[in-house]
Amino acid sequence: MVTLRVPIVSLVLLSAVASLRADGQRPISFNRDIRPILSDRCYLCHGPDEGTREADLRLDLRGDSALAALAPGHAEMSEVVKRIFSTDPDEVMPPPESHKSLTPAERDTIRRWIDEGAKYETHWAYQPLERPAVPAVGESHPVDAFIVAKLRAKGADLSPEASPERLLRRLSLDLTGLPPTEAERAAFLADRAPGAYERQVDRLLASPRFGERMAVWWLDVARFADTVGFHGDQNQRIFPYRDYVIDAFNANKPFDRFTTEQLAGDLLPDATPEQRVATGYNRLNMMTREGGAQPKEYLAKYGAERVRSVSTAWLGSTFGCAECHDHKFDPIPARDFYELQAFFADVKQWGVYHDYGYTPNPELKGFSNDHPFPPELLVESPYLQTRDREARAALLAYVDGLAPATREPAFPAWRAETQAWLASHADGWAYPELSATRWIKPRALDEPPLERAPDGALQLGRATKSGEYVRLVLKPAAGRVASLRVRLEGVPYPVSAAAGGFRIMEIEHASGERTTRASLHFAEANHRRPRYRNGYELDGVTYGWRLPEADPGEPLESVWVLSEPVDIREGDELRLRIGYDMAGVVRVGVSPLATLDPLDLVNGRVRAALAAATDSATPQTPARVAGAETAASSSPTPRSPGIDGGTAQRLLLETWLASRTDDRTRRDHLRAETARIREMNGGKAWTLVTESAPPLEVRVLPRGNWQDESGPVVLPATPSFLPGRRESTPERRLTRFNLAEWLLSRDNPLTARTVANRLWMPFFGTALSAVVDDLGSQGEPPSHPELLDWLAVDFREGGWDVKRFVRLLVTSRTYRQSTQHRPALREVDPANRLLAAQNPRRLDAEFVRDNALFVAGLLDLRLIGGPSARPYQPAGHYAALQFPDREYLNSEPDEQWRRGVYMHWQRTFLHPMLVNFDAPNRDECTAQRSASNTPQQALTLLNDPTFVEAARVFALRLLQGPAATDADRIDRAFVLAVGRAPAPADRERLLAFLQAQERHYAANPDDAKRFLAAGVHRAPEADALPAPALAAWTQLGRVLLNAQETITRY
Amino acid sequence: MNFLTPEQINRRTFVTRSAYGLGGLAFALLAQRSLLGAVPAELPAEPGWRGALARPHFPVKARRIIYLCMAGGPSHLETFDYKPELARLDGQAFPESFTRGQQLAQLQNTVLKARGPIAPFSRHGQSGIEVCDLFPRIGSIADELCVVRSMKTEQINHDTAHAFMNTGSIIKGRPSMGSWLLYGLGAETENLPGFVVLTSKGRNGVQPVSARQWSSGVLPSRFQGIQFQSQGDAVHYIGNPEGVCQSTQRQVIEEIMRLNGSLADETRDPEIATRIAQYELAFKMQASVPELTDFQSESPAMLERYGVKEPGDGSFASNCLLARRLAERGVRMIQLYHRGWDHHDDIVGGMKEGAQAVDRATAALITDLKERGMLDDTLVLWGGEFGRTPMGQGTGRDHHILGFSLFMAGGGVRKGTVYGSTDELGYRAMENVVDVHDLHATLLALMGVDHLRLNTKFQGLDIRLTGVAGKVVRGLMA
Repeated sequence: MVTLRVPIVSLVLLSAVASLRADGQRPISFNRDIRPILSDRCYLCHGPDEGTREADLRLDLRGDSALAALAPGHAEMSEVVKRIFSTDPDEVMPPPESHKSLTPAERDTIRRWIDEGAKYETHWAYQPLERPAVPAVGESHPVDAFIVAKLRAKGADLSPEASPERLLRRLSLDLTGLPPTEAERAAFLADRAPGAYERQVDRLLASPRFGERMAVWWLDVARFADTVGFHGDQNQRIFPYRDYVIDAFNANKPFDRFTTEQLAGDLLPDATPEQRVATGYNRLNMMTREGGAQPKEYLAKYGAERVRSVSTAWLGSTFGCAECHDHKFDPIPARDFYELQAFFADVKQWGVYHDYGYTPNPELKGFSNDHPFPPELLVESPYLQTRDREARAALLAYVDGLAPATREPAFPAWRAETQAWLASHADGWAYPELSATRWIKPRALDEPPLERAPDGALQLGRATKSGEYVRLVLKPAAGRVASLRVRLEGVPYPVSAAAGGFRIMEIEHASGERTTRASLHFAEANHRRPRYRNGYELDGVTYGWRLPEADPGEPLESVWVLSEPVDIREGDELRLRIGYDMAGVVRVGVSPLATLDPLDLVNGRVRAALAAATDSATPQTPARVAGAETAASSSPTPRSPGIDGGTAQRLLLETWLASRTDDRTRRDHLRAETARIREMNGGKAWTLVTESAPPLEVRVLPRGNWQDESGPVVLPATPSFLPGRRESTPERRLTRFNLAEWLLSRDNPLTARTVANRLWMPFFGTALSAVVDDLGSQGEPPSHPELLDWLAVDFREGGWDVKRFVRLLVTSRTYRQSTQHRPALREVDPANRLLAAQNPRRLDAEFVRDNALFVAGLLDLRLIGGPSARPYQPAGHYAALQFPDREYLNSEPDEQWRRGVYMHWQRTFLHPMLVNFDAPNRDECTAQRSASNTPQQALTLLNDPTFVEAARVFALRLLQGPAATDADRIDRAFVLAVGRAPAPADRERLLAFLQAQERHYAANPDDAKRFLAAGVHRAPEADALPAPALAAWTQLGRVLLNAQETITRY
Repeated sequence: MNFLTPEQINRRTFVTRSAYGLGGLAFALLAQRSLLGAVPAELPAEPGWRGALARPHFPVKARRIIYLCMAGGPSHLETFDYKPELARLDGQAFPESFTRGQQLAQLQNTVLKARGPIAPFSRHGQSGIEVCDLFPRIGSIADELCVVRSMKTEQINHDTAHAFMNTGSIIKGRPSMGSWLLYGLGAETENLPGFVVLTSKGRNGVQPVSARQWSSGVLPSRFQGIQFQSQGDAVHYIGNPEGVCQSTQRQVIEEIMRLNGSLADETRDPEIATRIAQYELAFKMQASVPELTDFQSESPAMLERYGVKEPGDGSFASNCLLARRLAERGVRMIQLYHRGWDHHDDIVGGMKEGAQAVDRATAALITDLKERGMLDDTLVLWGGEFGRTPMGQGTGRDHHILGFSLFMAGGGVRKGTVYGSTDELGYRAMENVVDVHDLHATLLALMGVDHLRLNTKFQGLDIRLTGVAGKVVRGLMA
């Protein structure tokens, strides 16, 4: 690569001369040299916090007290100098017991500063944001100009460009979290035309993987999680917010709109569903429903957390310190904390998400630990819509594939039989004789049986009490019972929120001496209130039917399909154990039929299908297209019996199979496909959103104590210490929208600085100001202040265009240089802050996983977004969770290998793989992850079934691939895993390793078998391969997936 | 501050590193690591961490802590704080003078009635300490105990009260006590995690507990507590994959290390040397954890003494025995959670069941440590996140934060002592009040650490286990 080389020596001299004083010393800069000392050692007692200020001396401002103590220009007369140089332990400052003593060099620096006039500067981060001139060092790229100018001042220069294969892998991992494919790599290596690299940048920025990669960063900042975090750590429904974030990055939504929508999308005129989904941001604070928790205390906690999160996310400031007192180091008064909190006082939320006796919440009446956390919005989920379409098409295809079965003689026989049965049962149901008595186990209560109406219906009487049930005995005629119908009338409306339940707890079939238990497959009702388990809505009413709160004006109808139809002999009984919370009249029917949608047995569709089907009819494809009105066989609403021939034939076929006991394979397949359709919830999902309510009163809480009501009431206002302050008046209360406006305004220098600084980090390892969550005085002055300001201005003026900004960074020479740290630079710049080389970066947790699965060819990149997936997790990881108890079920193959960004995020017990690789639990805003290097990481990569399975699938990929010899396969394995061919010595050694492993597994076939069984991925072609070879290659796969180079981007 | 400079740490790790058998190259890289790692708030990542403190601030009385955390909040009125006046008032209105203006949990807006102690107390040993008769074996070692009857805390709900008891703060991201100890002092084992958490569960009054309680928070994640599991692998991912024996696993690890060595030659990335050492350490842990959890070497009499029915069954008894084995192997902090003390209802049955689950094993642990000569430098702490109200709540008691009890034994504490007291109804700690920060300061002092001088920078602030508060309670120390 050709670069413009300026003679280094002369530059060094020039820049050195320019900044030297006559005595050869650099002038003192307050921000660079003095503020860090004063802030760390002095501000605690002589800083912004009035509460802890000593001797009325304030050194953070150049006020009267500071001037008197400093004596600018006359260090010899300065009380400060006298005190810091004193050897008297009673006099010296800082006092010895503070453990904050100054070093001799620091004392000298302060003395010189005073001699030079004790000039103050506004803290760098709060200074107005102006675009600095780009240094004229012959670099065409502004980033390079700033970096190279500083490097040359130190007698250094950029490193050479990384090798093309490393560079492409770096770029690809940085922009998409995935390495390049073999084809992408080959294309880049072959592209000799100018702009080859930039073309890769554009390709990767346009990839939908870009959004998934960038989302990880923002989801940490937004504290996105699937659970509420406090106490029972129940599930919350919020995945559409994650989809919003991914889509925003992919659509390159400008960061200002991204900000406004999250903070105040609900306040925008004609807010779209997307804008309302974005406001889930305000709801991602931790929540509780612990019994005994006080709503007011928790609302205070939620409010305080929001201030911490918002100030960290957009202002890079540590407002958290000002909850209890004025900030010790930064000019943030406690009042600012509460004024910022007041912007969010209208966010509708409950302190404790329950309706406990000690603190009633009428709106949450009937809530349990299984309930969600309102307010929520039902929105369309493109992921679920696609899956729903696919599931319906799959069911349709399966049923159509079964069409030949209708030519079996059994089918017309069944149809005739069914027709006859329906003809003799007016409404399609048989109503057996029944009796009902109240029981408390183990015996009947000493009460008369429940009253019967003349037409066979039963008076429910009073609600069943705890522990009590009604034993309902039916005596059906001989024949098959596949479904039960429960019809309720005369329910005394309105039923209360907590009441209105009807449950079938047990079904027994008594035949002579023998009693067997029957179970329910699925039940559905025409009207119902939702029921929840672990925060998610249950399908149907199988586990209990909650009647609607308002009278629907028609009979309440439900159908309960048995897991296995029961064959009744003369004299047999069906004994039901039921419970209910209200009076009414119940009628119970039985049917020999079962349908995929239970309600098809009460809405006339089966009867209509029988009428419509002709003897010769077989399904005419495509009589139904996959879509809303077609195979909506899971819809709880009855539909018109109008039915076409093909549909009718299919419904009959399904019903025939569902009602049989002799073909469970096909029946269970139908049921599984139907259940999958139900899971997709019609393509819709609930998500937490912000709803604006009358604002709660916000007071300054002395020492953060929520019980102390002595502090003043405050209204929303932007921070007093930052420019462009906006305040509410009693007449006009500022809103979250106004806050967003100010955050993004030209007045506020912090948002652009904070975000530009943070966006630097993923591409260069360390941010320009390394403490990305604190740009205040206890943070770190930027390594390149002018570059940071230039970038911040460019980001803001460039329309907050994230892709443009990222493109700017990665097209610099600085980004493209090699990671090889040159020994000569270690003395000058041990931490490589001047960037004379790129920094290697270990992949973040999600991408460690993505990368391994992608290398193996196992990563599922089919769809974007959707509900959280559950990769394998060690058993018992949630054993200490309760309210409710938690069981972790691995996702099925259809969702097992989705990207890490979609992993279920359990705040109190995060997936151990994520924990081990430093993913935060997202209890609060996290702007920076640590990058540790621990034995737990080694154990995860070695032994976590995810990685063992990936190694096997990787092996399969290698063995089936085009490579002809083992050596070629090893070469390909390297290219896939780390983007380059192996060194000859490594290849030789791995060949020997492979042979040793193959011998071992040939001698231990049982081990090979167990080893190859990890995970749920099944490939018939794997069975065709010799097990010892596949096992040996799997071991080789493990070696490569564990390699440092694989989990690091160089 | 007495933190080591990176160079000093490096020199120390140099010596210990030879145990990992790294080649000269790795050594050279480690030497450079200290220079490259000079980024603020970043710590050297090497496995042989010896602690941030170059030397202890105070004489070391205790080298390790076993914290028997009675999760849910056991009643002080049925354990260590006998209140005859409360017994007298049983069933009568609770005097309003005590409760006016105080925070209550579930008892808000209800009529408050006194509930007398549900079980008698007896005096034990030379010291004559009163212990509830539900805990006869703990009573029998009363002369070893230092009972604190004047604890108070700030948080009245389980989740936040645990956080406060473990981290001294309810702000998320604060490191837990065990993480602080590991960070400050390192561990005396290199084959096991230095901070281990075990959990068990009773039948009544069970509350959830979060992994946040043993999180390293803003400290690097290698200082987090490692939870041992009672089902599956004792430590997540400690077992080889199915069908991989120890020797093949070793071969895989060697290939990984060699490959990493080649990469180190080429890239000069200093992280690689650390990574190589971590694989070595991981392999050692894979061997040492099964050895640790295998109770074969424990005699039937020893199992009987702790009340272990089925070794490794995840019971409190089994965990106590495991705690002793962890202590023997140099683990710095061992924290046992027994979930089963939240007795809002049926405190009579609940306390009895809880006592049965922990009394024998607690006493066995302390006497066993003593017989092995380990009690002198092992600090055992027994207590909940708060106490319970002297007012009844149905058939139980509600949460209570203004006064409760716990005890310590071993490592430098004053034996056979009762420290502090509550008022005559057990409502409020009155004399020698010990708040949670004081407890932390004292525990650290017994471990040789000045609580004011063990800190880390986060968001520009020095944060500490004790926050800006906490004083060492000399009266608890021998």
